Amino acid sequence: MDERRTGWVLIVVLVAQLVYLAVRGARSGDTWLESVGLRVLGPAARAVTSVPTSLGELREGMRLRHTLQDENAHLRRENEELRLRLLQLSDLENDMRRLGAAVEYTTPPVGGIRAVDVVYVDHASWLRTLVIYTGDTPARMNQPVLSSSGLVGRVVTVAGPYAKVQLITDRAASVGAMILRTRRQGVVRGSGQGQGGLDLDYVPRQADVKPGDRVLTAGIDGVYPRGIPIGTVVQVESGGQLFHRIHVATAVDLGALDQVYLLDHSPLPPDVKEAVPGVRP
Amino acid sequence: MSALKLLAGLAAAVLLHLVLMQLWPELARPMDVFLVVVVLYGLGGNSLASLFAGMLVGLVHDTLTNNPFGLFGFADTIVGYSTARLAQRLVIQRATGVLAVVSFAAALQEAIVVGLMVMLLPDPQLPTPFGVALKAGLCGVLGMILYMAGSQWRQGADSRRRNRMSRLRMG
Repeated sequence: MDERRTGWVLIVVLVAQLVYLAVRGARSGDTWLESVGLRVLGPAARAVTSVPTSLGELREGMRLRHTLQDENAHLRRENEELRLRLLQLSDLENDMRRLGAAVEYTTPPVGGIRAVDVVYVDHASWLRTLVIYTGDTPARMNQPVLSSSGLVGRVVTVAGPYAKVQLITDRAASVGAMILRTRRQGVVRGSGQGQGGLDLDYVPRQADVKPGDRVLTAGIDGVYPRGIPIGTVVQVESGGQLFHRIHVATAVDLGALDQVYLLDHSPLPPDVKEAVPGVRP
Repeated sequence: MSALKLLAGLAAAVLLHLVLMQLWPELARPMDVFLVVVVLYGLGGNSLASLFAGMLVGLVHDTLTNNPFGLFGFADTIVGYSTARLAQRLVIQRATGVLAVVSFAAALQEAIVVGLMVMLLPDPQLPTPFGVALKAGLCGVLGMILYMAGSQWRQGADSRRRNRMSRLRMG
């Protein structure tokens, strides 16, 4: 093919790609092209991740062999304390259920959790994500992802046994949040700065917020259930005329995730979410 | 054969990128192995093949980095085509020439990606001039090393073939 025709092919290919980019914009979602790529590259990512992990675990095991007994004893003591605490909390839970039943109070159901492996982490690009391997039971879109310390993000792309998770530090992510001490609600967004940067927006200036306040999910966004730790307030600035500028450090060290938990939580049905007030279905 | 070489290069790039992300994630962003594969393939001079090779490699890169899907696909299409056109006009045989071409391609790719980000994203995170220079330098050096290794391997294979042929003639 002569160069003139190749030039035309180039123009057609570039215009097609530009149109695709313009239509999709900055949205991070499920496309078949991306899913195919993830299906092909997921196993490679998993294989590469598992090798250094296994070697690292072996080295770590040898290095810490003599301290394992001490750690075991410490964990046993901690386990005893936690069992005791669990007993106290189950008493409280029973009390709360009884009182709740008396006033017919119902909470949204929250299902179990499932541990899955992280096979690929991308902190470098504009949208911060990780890829998880879910095995035979695939993840669901918008399924919350947690670690033992708190909220990690939500599933945005599912491709067979692999799923892409949008981290809460992603600039495009937002989470309905509340300050534990005052129950004041706002929206947590990724600030895009550093690895643990979050901003808590829409908290009025007259609201009482101070560094050290713990921030949890508020359960108002239709994706995440209430009460999952998001982070801690590190700085409060007087922002615009109406709202504080609040910086939050994540509860989870997102740079050190090798295993996460998928929460079996049903998101708000779209027809309920998009229903217009006053219009009957 | 050319397509096989491209696929082998792409597979190696994916592997190297994943290993870098695992062991040294700070290096994975400036060290764009996918770009190096596109440029080295483009040096063959086939502009149509390089165009599609750039698109394929860029889309694979997009899958792994999760920038808005198609960003690197678009940029690498242009880079692949431009490199092939350049290779048709210039005879690039020295390793330093390859270093210059790959560095220039890295800067061109960054410029295209930044332009698209400014157009598409509400609040894009733009690279610093130092970041662009670092990427150009690292990619250039990697491209040069791979080109030199490839040349040496080709020379070795040629001399082995000549030896075999001369033994056959003598026998």
